[in-house]
Amino acid sequence: MAPSRLTAQAAGVNGKTALRFLLRAFGAAILILVIWRVTTVGLAEGYPASFWISQALNGLVLGGVYALVALGYTLVYGILFMINFAHGEVMMIGGIAGFFALQFSQARGWMEGPWPVVVAALLLIMLFGMAASVLIGVALERLAYRPLRQAPRLVPLISAIGASLFLQYSVLLIFGVSPHSYRKPALISGGMRMGDVFIPYTGAIIFFTSILLMLALYFIIQRTKLGRAMRAVAEDRATASLMGVDVNAVIVITFMLGSALAGAAGVMLGFHNTVVKFNSGFVPGLKAFTAAVLGGIGNIPGAMFGALILGLIEAIGPSALGIPTEYKDVIAFSLLVLILIFRPSGLFGEVLSEKKA
Amino acid sequence: MLKQLRIPALLVITLLLLAACVAAPPAAEAPAEEASMDEAPADMSGKVVIASGGNIRIGGSFALTGPIPDPGLNIRHGAELAIDDLNAAGGLEGFMFELVAEDGACDGTQGTNVGNKFAADETIVAVTGGTCSGETFGLVPILQEARIPFVSPSATNPDITTPDCDVCNRVALSDALQGATDADFVISDLGFTKVAVVHDNSDYGKGLAEIFQSNVTDMGGEVSSFEGVQVGDTDFRAMLARVGADGPQAVFFGGYSTEAGLIAQQMTETPGLEETTFMSVDGAYTQQYLEAAGDAAEGTYISFVAGADSEDMNAEFDAKYVEKYGVSPDDLGPFHSQSYDSVKLIAAAIMAVATVDDSGNLVIDREELISAIRSVDAFEGLTGTIKCDSIGECGAGGVQIFQVADGAFDQVSGFGME
Repeated sequence: MAPSRLTAQAAGVNGKTALRFLLRAFGAAILILVIWRVTTVGLAEGYPASFWISQALNGLVLGGVYALVALGYTLVYGILFMINFAHGEVMMIGGIAGFFALQFSQARGWMEGPWPVVVAALLLIMLFGMAASVLIGVALERLAYRPLRQAPRLVPLISAIGASLFLQYSVLLIFGVSPHSYRKPALISGGMRMGDVFIPYTGAIIFFTSILLMLALYFIIQRTKLGRAMRAVAEDRATASLMGVDVNAVIVITFMLGSALAGAAGVMLGFHNTVVKFNSGFVPGLKAFTAAVLGGIGNIPGAMFGALILGLIEAIGPSALGIPTEYKDVIAFSLLVLILIFRPSGLFGEVLSEKKA
Repeated sequence: MLKQLRIPALLVITLLLLAACVAAPPAAEAPAEEASMDEAPADMSGKVVIASGGNIRIGGSFALTGPIPDPGLNIRHGAELAIDDLNAAGGLEGFMFELVAEDGACDGTQGTNVGNKFAADETIVAVTGGTCSGETFGLVPILQEARIPFVSPSATNPDITTPDCDVCNRVALSDALQGATDADFVISDLGFTKVAVVHDNSDYGKGLAEIFQSNVTDMGGEVSSFEGVQVGDTDFRAMLARVGADGPQAVFFGGYSTEAGLIAQQMTETPGLEETTFMSVDGAYTQQYLEAAGDAAEGTYISFVAGADSEDMNAEFDAKYVEKYGVSPDDLGPFHSQSYDSVKLIAAAIMAVATVDDSGNLVIDREELISAIRSVDAFEGLTGTIKCDSIGECGAGGVQIFQVADGAFDQVSGFGME
């Protein structure tokens, strides 16, 4: 028995090495193909520099939105080791709530007022959207995930997909199938023009607000008592609870933080792209998940940079590769598959990996 | 790590596949065979027998969800009003007409589902719909197999009516006409030589964009770029930046309202396209377009395949519509009159072939009905003289071109103008 087992083991090792080698070769082939496309086709089009700058700025705006949503995925994964697939819908709810808050303030003429009134109203709209998302996020945790916390890992994942569909179609039934159009107030319509580069105000607002919110989140997690509790629960839930950390409260707060960021993203995206409807959270949700995996799920700076990189690749990729822009989603999701194959722990690695096996 | 992510990864891939299905409905050929097997008993008799007291059931495939829910609802209303009028006039030999409305969702996959539902229901005599071309392509093979004739009020892709399909009919005009008229308008009337063409990858939008493109090229114009987007996209900036880099004089979009409106709006934010003319097509001839585009709608052009409306009949129809639904028909979408005429055409064909047998049942022979639709005597509908030709083109009228001025569509060229 012994020799044959040894041979089998040896064969297994050989098989693994061979597989690894094949994967490496596959990866290298893809890399060479991409470089070849970019140098021979993409750059041969001869677009001016302003074109690439415009596309990069588009990418940064997209990245800002993805980052806010991706943080929600990563925070929840860091603590519960589950993927909250309904998170895109949490963002959509924020967008829908923001739409009604905008209608409310338009009906009261706040959007035509002097600029401090408009800014205050816009902040209120965003807070309202965030509050709605927080409410949904907490409800999700309480109703769809907490009862399944002891179940095998696949179970809450399925529950999340169910919750996602439930939220989409509830919104469809309650608010109708037609898209809701945001009317931008004059203050944030249009944008700045620098030479041949145009920066829409809403785009700039998204980028800087998302950076600000991310810094705030980073501060909360690294510098406050609450953040310490969150990190403790992420590292070892049982020990943290023995040390007097209220694990349930920490989990709820994690959902609240993630949902608030998603709600802010939903409202800002509403102002930027001007329409929201029941399924407008689905694709951005998947993209943000891709971003979180790209950066290393569970890793907070990873999610931020992963999202910005994904946004940039999505905006620049089709032009650089010289393929139609309709393939931007193909590029984004191919990236997800490649990352899962070659670097499942993401570009920046997962921070707290050893406890999760 | 690998192990942990394997299950999420599988799920993600499943979700992606799902998303792919939503985004790009696969060709709807396969289910036809199943449908024919389900339908074997109905095929053997080849007749619909309605017992005394029963209704003459006409199926309806409407885009009640999907990218153009308001026009879909509007088309459903038009069909309902036609049914009301038919029944108010006494129905047929004491039998009342009934509309069996289903949601075709403006989508090929859903069109296939609706088709299968109708094919499995032996009481369905004929179908009005689908609303969109892709949805109708889903219906075609199934209804053809099940020998159920249909009349679409609004599917404009040229390939919907072919010599091979004897159950396929439509009241709307083919996009072959619209694409050519639009190209002629852009090249001859506006005097442009370089245009960009964008489409939404739907059977309708892409089909129309290709017709427009080939007409522009034939007339000596240059198509600087031909780009696709997806129905449901909201951020077109990356695509537009690329279109703008070629500096076209006009952007033509084949697709539906929301995407058209957002493209018009985002063009004003794209270097090279701020002052460029935008033109779209009948799928965007809606209030939803004006809503989505906002101020950017001003000065844009929209074409529409209009009927040859008789004003008196339409005034009467509009009054009934407002009374029943509380909104003006034009607020929801443009094809309500075609929908009304589509049901009227079906009813006229049924009246021509239906017979009452000895036991008082109404008997409708399916094959006779299929040929009857194409031989119905020309009648005056809301959209002009309805009379089908040998491949099922039954509509009247022509292509109109509108320009948006002060938030309303203002006709500037085409059918019905001096």
